[in-house]
Amino acid sequence: MLEVPWLAAVASCRRDDGKNADGFAALTPAEARAMQAFAAQIIPSDKALPGADEAGAVHFIDRAFGKPFFADIVPVVRAGLADLDARARALGERDFASLSAGRQVAIMRQVERTPFFLAARMLVVVGTFADSAYGGNKRGAGWTIVGFEHEPTYASPFGWYDAHEEADAKSDA
Amino acid sequence: MTQRTYAEGETVDFVIVGSGAAGGVLAKELATAGFSVVVLEAGPWQQPSQFTHDELAVERENAMLNLAFEPIQTIRGSEAEPARRNAGRALAYRRGVGGSSVHFAANYWRFRPIDFKERSKWGPISGSGFADWPITYAELEPYYTKVDWEIGVSGAPGPFDPPRSRPYPLPPLPNKSSGVLLERGARALGLHAQPSPLAILSKQYDGRSACLACGHCSLYGCEFGAKSSTLATVIPKAVATGTCEVRAESTAFRVETNARGRATGVMYWDREGKERRQRARAVIVAANGAETTRLLLLSATPAFPHGLANSSGNVGRYIMFNGHASTFGRFDHPLNEYKGPVASRTVHDFYDADAKRGFYGGGGIDARFNYQPIGFALGVLPDDVPTWGPEYKRALAEYFTHSVRFYAHITSLPVASNTVTLDHDNKDRWGRPGLCLTYTDHPDDMKAKQWFRDRTEELMHAAGATRVWTQPILPIDGGVHLLGTARMGDHPRESVVDRYHRAHDVPNLFICDGSNFVTSGRGQPTMTIQALAFRAAEHIGRFAKSHEI
Repeated sequence: MLEVPWLAAVASCRRDDGKNADGFAALTPAEARAMQAFAAQIIPSDKALPGADEAGAVHFIDRAFGKPFFADIVPVVRAGLADLDARARALGERDFASLSAGRQVAIMRQVERTPFFLAARMLVVVGTFADSAYGGNKRGAGWTIVGFEHEPTYASPFGWYDAHEEADAKSDA
Repeated sequence: MTQRTYAEGETVDFVIVGSGAAGGVLAKELATAGFSVVVLEAGPWQQPSQFTHDELAVERENAMLNLAFEPIQTIRGSEAEPARRNAGRALAYRRGVGGSSVHFAANYWRFRPIDFKERSKWGPISGSGFADWPITYAELEPYYTKVDWEIGVSGAPGPFDPPRSRPYPLPPLPNKSSGVLLERGARALGLHAQPSPLAILSKQYDGRSACLACGHCSLYGCEFGAKSSTLATVIPKAVATGTCEVRAESTAFRVETNARGRATGVMYWDREGKERRQRARAVIVAANGAETTRLLLLSATPAFPHGLANSSGNVGRYIMFNGHASTFGRFDHPLNEYKGPVASRTVHDFYDADAKRGFYGGGGIDARFNYQPIGFALGVLPDDVPTWGPEYKRALAEYFTHSVRFYAHITSLPVASNTVTLDHDNKDRWGRPGLCLTYTDHPDDMKAKQWFRDRTEELMHAAGATRVWTQPILPIDGGVHLLGTARMGDHPRESVVDRYHRAHDVPNLFICDGSNFVTSGRGQPTMTIQALAFRAAEHIGRFAKSHEI
């Protein structure tokens, strides 16, 4: 693809139309905070590999809220995010995102069988691995996690076993 | 591509409904023979450059499939049950020029002599409409060879192959790690893994590019033209004859018949939704086992009260999908199965059914891991891996590149109560009645899936996997092989078309697609659909020239 920095800048400005001050179009600032914290516990970041946070899964979800394909689950996810914050307030904290990681996980365990959790977890996973054109998987962070090179084409040998095919056949013979 | 167009009101020799595996072949063969042909294709005419690797759009949103246009299909186990929304696989096919040959995985197994005569060899099977085909492998063999050479099939002979009159035109594609491991498992168990025949070019052929191993075959279109879809092969040739018009975004909704009981043409909606008529001297329906059924049932008239060509009542009956069963394995070194075509080796030692197993059923086992990252992360890891948190993430990193599935493709029995029918409560985007699938696996089909799963598990252990896990055997809730709903046979009371694909009830109506299958084969139907189409085109052309239509 043609690399023209100013063109990309113009394009990204267009995409930002209609977004609020925090850069989200569909999610409220509170929902975005809760979703980002939730995503970071679904696929956590660590020293070796990025997580859903670096992948920007929350930005995918912000856009997914406007896609007809995900329309059915939007109310469920909104209600569930509000519930996460309510549970945090019951513990005396400002919101879910303000809790320690351990307390976030404890709350998530309480709700992990709910339709909200299943839908939100699905969105985080899709947002981490879907093409970055959808807003998540920034710089291929999701693909880095699984080891997916994401090149347009490849050349044989593809893996260790086909690279060692002859040795493999001999060792068994 | 500029193409010959026919004016409204012009009567052509043939109107063909569908431009997929069969329709594309029929168009090319009949146009090459000098006939005037119009092909009505419901979906768009995409160019290879429009195909993407966008997993969300292709695999999650079904951008290329009928499902995007028919959000509600229904399913029930039997006629006695209420139909419910089918949230499973449903009746799935691609809409667009080239049909499902564009997004298939391109496994090109031939049927074998036994497939055509299995009822005679095995005997009757209770609760099924198990029957012989009216044709034999020997009759179809020249047309299998024609498929090999006309569209480009890569492969090499294996120990159990049926006779072939000519070698493969192209050598096999490179072996993958999955293939090496399947070979290893097979050797350890005294079985045989052979190169998988694929309708994908291992070398440049007929002006088309060799496969560049992008790894997006199954469910995706090939942007290099290396996959031998009809879009990449016979359709450009059909158009180049100057006598064939492929009319995309044209949704057929009725085959018209006259007072003499002959077909006169096809009614369709154009891209603006306007009703149009294409008159023809003969009509060929090649719309797949689901859409062929819908079109014939919607073409009922007082003279054909149960649908066109349906005096047998068998239109929509006997649907077969092929069973599947599999075992996953993780290995110590990377396989990177996401690179290259879907499968490179197949075990065919269990092709034949064997009464000693205690049930009817046969199949083949290949090695593949056709998951892109989203599909993998949502539904592949072993059950004891958490679905979120640090352990989940570790598994994502450790399994994607190191895992494979040994995947069995199995017979499905034809059962009269397994049907596709019209659902008047749910309409598709054009207001046509939707599709209802009534389906219960024959008990032998369930046993076959269980048995084959055990074989895949043994193979996986024998291949040396360090972690082995299986998925439960589930009843069928749809699929992409839409077979059997307009079966072929000599007797008008038992079948819909004769051995030349002519409808028993309508002399100038032909049906040619997977719906004609009498039995399911072992799981890779497209090669046989295309061999049938080449054969049908030859006979239909002969009938037309001798005024026997």
